[in-house]
Order: sequence, then C-alpha cells, then structure tokens
Amino acid sequence: MRREDGAHQGERRFALMLTAPGMLALLLTTTFPLAYLVWSSFQTINLAMPFMDGFAGVQNYVEMWHDSRYWHAMGLTGIYTFSSVALQVVIGMGLALLVMQIPAGQWIFRIVAILPIVLAPVVVGLFWRTLMLAPNFGMVDFLVQWLGFEQINWLGAPTPALISVIAIHTWQWTPFAFLVFLASLASLPGDVYEAARIDRANALQRFWHITLPLLRPAIIIVIIMRVMISLSAFAAIFAATGGGPGTASEILNLYAFKTSFVELNFGYGSALAVSLLIITMAVSGVLFYLRTPRRREAGA
Amino acid sequence: MAQGRVHLKGIYKRFGNFIALKHIDLDIQPVEFFALLGPSGSGKTTTLRMIAGLDTPDEGVIEVDGEDVTFAPPADRDIAMVFQNYALYPHMTVRDNIAFPLKMDKMPKAEIEPAVVRAAERVDIAHLLHRRPGQLSGGQQQRCALARAIVRQPKLFLLDEPLSNLDAQLRLQTRVELKKLQRALNVTAIYVTHDQEEAMTLADRMAVFLEGDILQVGTPDEVFNRPASIAVAAFIGSPPMNLLPATLDGDRLTVSGHSMTLPRAPQHPGGEVTMGVRPSHVRIDPQGLPTRLYLSENLGESALLNLYLGDELVKMRVASFNAGAEGETVPIAFDIDTIHLFESGSGRRIPLAGE
Ligand SMILES: Nc1ncnc2c1ncn2[C@@H]1O[C@H](COP(=O)(O)OP(=O)(O)OP(=O)(O)O)[C@@H](O)[C@H]1O
Ligand SMILES: [Mg+2]
Repeated sequence: MRREDGAHQGERRFALMLTAPGMLALLLTTTFPLAYLVWSSFQTINLAMPFMDGFAGVQNYVEMWHDSRYWHAMGLTGIYTFSSVALQVVIGMGLALLVMQIPAGQWIFRIVAILPIVLAPVVVGLFWRTLMLAPNFGMVDFLVQWLGFEQINWLGAPTPALISVIAIHTWQWTPFAFLVFLASLASLPGDVYEAARIDRANALQRFWHITLPLLRPAIIIVIIMRVMISLSAFAAIFAATGGGPGTASEILNLYAFKTSFVELNFGYGSALAVSLLIITMAVSGVLFYLRTPRRREAGA
Repeated sequence: MAQGRVHLKGIYKRFGNFIALKHIDLDIQPVEFFALLGPSGSGKTTTLRMIAGLDTPDEGVIEVDGEDVTFAPPADRDIAMVFQNYALYPHMTVRDNIAFPLKMDKMPKAEIEPAVVRAAERVDIAHLLHRRPGQLSGGQQQRCALARAIVRQPKLFLLDEPLSNLDAQLRLQTRVELKKLQRALNVTAIYVTHDQEEAMTLADRMAVFLEGDILQVGTPDEVFNRPASIAVAAFIGSPPMNLLPATLDGDRLTVSGHSMTLPRAPQHPGGEVTMGVRPSHVRIDPQGLPTRLYLSENLGESALLNLYLGDELVKMRVASFNAGAEGETVPIAFDIDTIHLFESGSGRRIPLAGE
C-alpha cells in the first residue's frame, strides 16, 4: 500500500515536471495578461494625456455605463452573435441533412467545407471586401445588378454593412457546424429510424422526434463554441469594414481595440475588454448549464 | 373479414455477391401464427424486413391481402415490429417509447396513457415506465420493444426473435402471453426464431430456412413427424434424429447387417438410402444391433446415451441416467414404424405407400 503510494507520488512529481514548462508558458501568456488587463481597467492610462495617469477606481466602469457608444456596440455584438450563430446552425444542419442523402462522394463535401475554415479571418475579410462586396466590381454587386435590383453599397451603408459582416462570418464558419452535424448524423443508429418508419412517423416527424433530440449534444457544443468565438470576432470585420461606416458594424471587441490602440486610451479600453470577457464567460456558463440535460423523473 | 394474408412470390435477394434469399415462396394465411425457423444467417431477418418494407427484393412480389406492396413504404403496410436488437428510441423514456406509435397515429392524449400502461403491464414492465432504454437490462429492453409493438392494433405483427434475451422462466411465461395476445388481437403474426421449441409451441405453421432457401413449410407436427428432407431432419429435434446409411430392397431395409421389413412398401426403386430415427425411438433389445457405449449424458428428466454402431454415432434417449461403463456393449433396435427414409443423393424424403 505504502510503496504504491510512493510510486504514485513519484509519478505525480514526474508529471508535474513534464507539464511545468507548458504551465509556465500558459501562465505568462494568458493569466498574466488577463490580470494585467483587469488591473489596467482600474487605472487611467491615456497616452494622449499621460499627465492624467493614475489609479482611477471604478471610474472607467462608471463612464462605460453612461457611454452610448458602448451600449450601441453591445447591441451590435448581440445581434452579430445571435444571428450569425443561428444562421450557422440552421444552414449547417440543412446542408448536413442534404449531404447525408447522397449515397457516395460525401468526402468531397467534407474537403470543400474545410476550405473557408482554414483561411485566416483577415484574408476572409479582405476577400469579401475586394472580390465579393466591392461596389461595381464585386461579384455580389454584379449579381444584384444583373438581377435588376438597385446597386447597394454593401460595406459603405450602415445596415448593409452589418448584414455583410454577419454574412461573412456565417460564410466562414457554417462549414464547421456542417462538419460536426454531418459526423453526428453519420453516427446515429440506423435501426431507430427503421423503428420510426414502422411506427409511421413521416420524414418531418422523424427529424423532430428522433434526429433533433439525438443531435442535441452536437448542436449545443456547436452553439457554445461558435458563440464564444462570435462574441470576440475581430479580424474579419476589421478587414472588411473596420467597424464602419461610422460605428455601424462596431461590435464591442472593435470598440475596445479602437479605444486602446487608436485613441490610445488603455485604461478605458481595458474596461471595455473586461466587460466583454465577463459577458462571454456568463453566456458560456449559461450554455454549459443548458448542456447537461435535466432528467424529467416522472413518477417513481 | 379476417385480414393479413401475406403472399411472397419468388423473392430473391442479393447483398453484393452474396445471395441471401433464393426464390422464396410463402403463403401466410390471415390470423395465422407463422414461424420462420432456421439457423443463424439463413435469411429469416432478411425475409421479415422485406415483409416490413425496410428492404426491397431484387426479384419477386410481396402481396398483402392481394395488394402488391413490394415497394410500398413501411408506413403504408400497417405493421408493428419487434426488432432483433430492439431499436428503442434511446432519448425517450419507456413510456414515450411505447406511446410513440400512438402519437404518430394521432390518438387523443387522454387515451394514450391507459393504452401504454396496459401494454406495459402485459409484458411486466409497468414499473419501469420512467426509465430510459440505457437504464434497462437486455431482457427489459426486449419487453419494452414488445410493448411498443403490441400497443397498437396493426394488420401484421412481425417479431424478430423477441424472446431471445429473456431468461428461461420469463421466456416460457412471455411465450404463453404472446400466443394469447395474438389470439386476442386476432392478427397475423410472423415470428422469427432459431429456437425450434419456440416455433413448435407457438406456430400454427412454420417455414424451415437454411442458407436462403425454404426447406419445408408445414404445421409443427408435419415438420417434426414428416421432415421433407435430410436437412430438415438433421435440424429439427433436440438432439435431431439419427441418420444412418442403409440399403433398401423392396420393403426390406438393412442397417448395419440387420434387416427389417417396412410396414408398407416405400415408393423407391431400392439401393443406398439414409434412414432416420429419433433418439426417443431407439430402444434396448437383447436381440438387436450391438453398439459400444461412448458417453452417457444426464439431461435431468431423461438421459442420452451416445453409442457407436460401427463408425456411426447413434443417440438414444433413456428414461433415467445410469452412468454405464464406457465401452460397454449395448444392443439396440428401432421401432420399424417410427423410422424415416431419405434418398441418399437428393436428401428427399421417401414416402411409404399410402402416405
Ligand atoms: N445488409 C447486409 N449486407 C450484406 N449481407 C447481409 C446484410 N444483411 C444480411 N446479410 C447476410 O444475409 C444472410 C442472412 O441474414 P439474416 O439477417 O437474414 O439472417 P438470420 O436468419 O436472421 O440470422 P440470425 O438468426 O443470426 O439473426 C447472412 O449471411 C448475412 O450475413
Ligand atoms: Mg436475424
């Protein structure tokens, strides 16, 4: 017993030694900057007015509370996240169900689906800005005019700009949802569907009563991952619209970035970033809570 | 009017290069309890799946009540089915599993609950309604699948080895219950099993499958007492009948140098044949054929002697166990009116005159 414990302890020490460098790197690159971020959010650090620097207490947060641009950014973040994730899930699910019907050659779709995912978001943003949405030259514009509609300045007018950045994000990340759903669909038990066909469930009822509940874990995982990423989306929007026109597509992350690195108001920028962090954590917390299915223990 | 006549005509099914069914013909009567009996891999499930509409044959026609349903979807066939591996809905409670066919039938909610409870009580799982399939034992899952099938009144009742996972006692009990249920519901039941005792006790008629072929169709009595071929004879009975080489000359049958006169003339020109006799029809006779005792098996209510008649193993059922000395000589004889004759080449049964 005792010898075993000793061996166990030795093992543990060894494991610690092995992981220590990684832990240290993690500590230095995540925990430390995070702590620094929180610390600076309680300071006034403004490179434009260095003479004002010093401890500010909750001053930054109070200012944020009264900042209409902050609430605007917050609203945009909500719209952006909700609509892009909803679109990803719905379109991804639809595509996965469609591809499942194809008896052979599903691998082609898997490979095609990976392409947008592996592109860097900046590239995606620029690609859409120059190739697809540019006035007169962009493919979308070309299509819209060809269909006989009026020309729309996709990235230059407020509402189209927001729609565009949502579309870009959806375009890049729907394949992720698609791939997860496709894999989950392929692993569903076939005989259960046969039982449902015998029990006279039609295709829609089979989807609603069998597929959807069985895919629930996959759907929730996709939502959690995509919401967390959407909340902190940055590069693609930055490349496509830079948050504009004006603040029309300026989600919270972009506002924090601009405050810190364009206006050089680090203290306030940090407070904005911290608020985004808190929102992200709260939302993921709720989603993780929803993930654990609460059993309805009827009777007994 | 009684419904549920199932007619299979020339059903042929291939999986890749493998021929699973070779021109199956079956005519199952309304309200009949019909068993598909055969060893593993003989094509029973494949046949049932085509009757259900889950698979389609490569050739042939399936008719239900005179209507061609060969390519009709399962929903149009008004069937209930118990799957060999249960196929319960894993995310639903037992209650929701059993209720599912009723919900799809748009039965009013108030009527569903009592129907579910009644079905669950019939198979003894009323106390498990709140559980999920993952929280049930194999036998309980099987009974849940059974309850889901009997909760509706379908035209056809398809069961794929529905008792295979129950313990011996529960199997006997459920077997009786199943038979009574089928009588009460007054529906055609098609029942797949590899357990011949089950087929014998449950079925009005049965089909014996082997390697994608039907060897014989008949009542349990016919199949047991008049097996159509050596293959059926070698499959039915536990243990199955002894098959020994013999010579036929007119109505004289010679086995291992011992001659007997058949009660009636066989319809066969004579020569080499195969004689079959059930272990229970072998008896000890001091004037009989000398055999050597190889092993004596105790079966509880009876015992089984393994004897060697020359190089041929003969099994004999005796009333009580007596571990005789191995190598001891046991003289045996066969009751002449209990023996079966088969053509050695084709394996077909040789009928006696008047049969
Ligand atoms: N989808 C399939 N693909 C290829 N071969 C199959 C398929 N389904 C069945 N088979 C083959 O067809 C033959 C008959 O199968 P089937 O399931 O009908 O047997 P069974 O009589 O029900 O046997 P068991 O008692 O073991 O359930 C088997 O040899 C099996 O391997
Ligand atoms: Mg089977």
